[in-house]
Amino acid sequence: MNFIDRFYVDFVKDQRWMDLFGGLLNTMTITVFALLIGVALGLLIAIIRTTADRTGKWRIPDFFCRIYLTVIRGTPTMIQLMIFYYCIFVGRFFSGVFVASIAFGLNSAAYVAEIIRSGILSIPAGQMEAGRSLGFNYVETMRYIIMPQAFKNVLPAIFNEFIVLIKETAVAGYVSVRDLTKGADNIRAQTYDAWLPLLAAGLIYLILTMFFTTLEKKLERRLKQGER
Amino acid sequence: MSARTGEGEVLIRVEKLGKTFRKLEVLKEISTEIRKGEVLCLIGPSGSGKSTFLRCLNLLEKPDSGRILFEGVDITDPKTDIDKVRQRMGMVFQQFNLFPHMTILENLTLAPIRLLHRGKDEAEGEAMELLKRVGLSEKAKNYPLQLSGGQQQRAAIVRALAMKPDVMLFDEPTSALDPEMVGEVLQVMRDLAGEHMTMVVVTHEMGFAREVSDRVIFLEGGCFLSEGAPESFFSHPENERLRAFLSKVL
Repeated sequence: MNFIDRFYVDFVKDQRWMDLFGGLLNTMTITVFALLIGVALGLLIAIIRTTADRTGKWRIPDFFCRIYLTVIRGTPTMIQLMIFYYCIFVGRFFSGVFVASIAFGLNSAAYVAEIIRSGILSIPAGQMEAGRSLGFNYVETMRYIIMPQAFKNVLPAIFNEFIVLIKETAVAGYVSVRDLTKGADNIRAQTYDAWLPLLAAGLIYLILTMFFTTLEKKLERRLKQGER
Repeated sequence: MSARTGEGEVLIRVEKLGKTFRKLEVLKEISTEIRKGEVLCLIGPSGSGKSTFLRCLNLLEKPDSGRILFEGVDITDPKTDIDKVRQRMGMVFQQFNLFPHMTILENLTLAPIRLLHRGKDEAEGEAMELLKRVGLSEKAKNYPLQLSGGQQQRAAIVRALAMKPDVMLFDEPTSALDPEMVGEVLQVMRDLAGEHMTMVVVTHEMGFAREVSDRVIFLEGGCFLSEGAPESFFSHPENERLRAFLSKVL
């Protein structure tokens, strides 16, 4: 079979491209929701952890955050995903995409939290003092003065985490989510041709991650103002 | 200028202020009064507790004992809203501590807009007026790191002034500056003293202390060892430790 024939059999015949396209949609859905959960929860954990370390308040929430970070970062993502799918969200009532979004979101939050925490710690103590001396309370100082600077500092690390997240969703097939990887694998199983479907899926992942790196470059450029 | 001392109402009353870091007693039951319009300079060797004393005045450092009354209100009382109090106490730091992600103008208007609920135009108008006073109008749209140290410190002073404080606290404002930039910052402070702003200044600039202050306090080991009008203080130092200190720095 020449390339054209193989291409036809792999992607056009029986509308097999729908496997890839549907998989892409699921991969993107999982990524977007996981990203939202990860950033929101990660931000919350980072603020609780730094506030507890600096002021000695919020001891109990801090304790739970520490346990959370230890467990999530200390166990394989796949185990976490399967526990969510087979043990926690049991039954057909929950779709695989929903469960995967939650699982990857909660997983990502742990990494995002530590990234943001490192960003907060990178801001000199004088910034907090300057904010407080003007009359801002702790929360206002964090919001107007510390977090904007911290965010800028962690931009490369955060986007790195986003890219890792996209690719990590490829294991969602383990809990019968028809994601991009699973879609390519389905085509392979039907046509006995591994090359084209896998290359196609890889290319699509590459385009997705390149979208994120472009976005990062744009953001970095915009935030660069103010530097010497 | 020293004639101002003793006049005017008491703005800050410090009663038996004590502060201990771990086991080191940094401030030992210090008491004093700072009057409205007074310029008070604190001098002393490093580690003497002068910066700690200053930072206690707006509770950036939490005192372990004693009381501080600002305009009659005990600010060490946990029930006092310290954020409200700090709005009326400007502070200038050794390291400037301008907000590097904002323009100079935004540095000046952030607190008035957010805390005093000024309109943006009004706040910017006032900020430009202040920047003009310290010769920085042209730097309004620049970012702090694009300015020299002296310019940054002048901007930091007017950022504090933008809140229209009743007292200005200076924590070694010229110590991080290149020598040729010290003068421009001191001039701004001199002008401020001339406008009868109440000022508490921790400094190593003996010339400034002598010329501008109404009262000088010499600290060592967490105690006020000597205190007086600058003329007698510098010309006829009675305290032996003060004499030794002055002989080293003058």
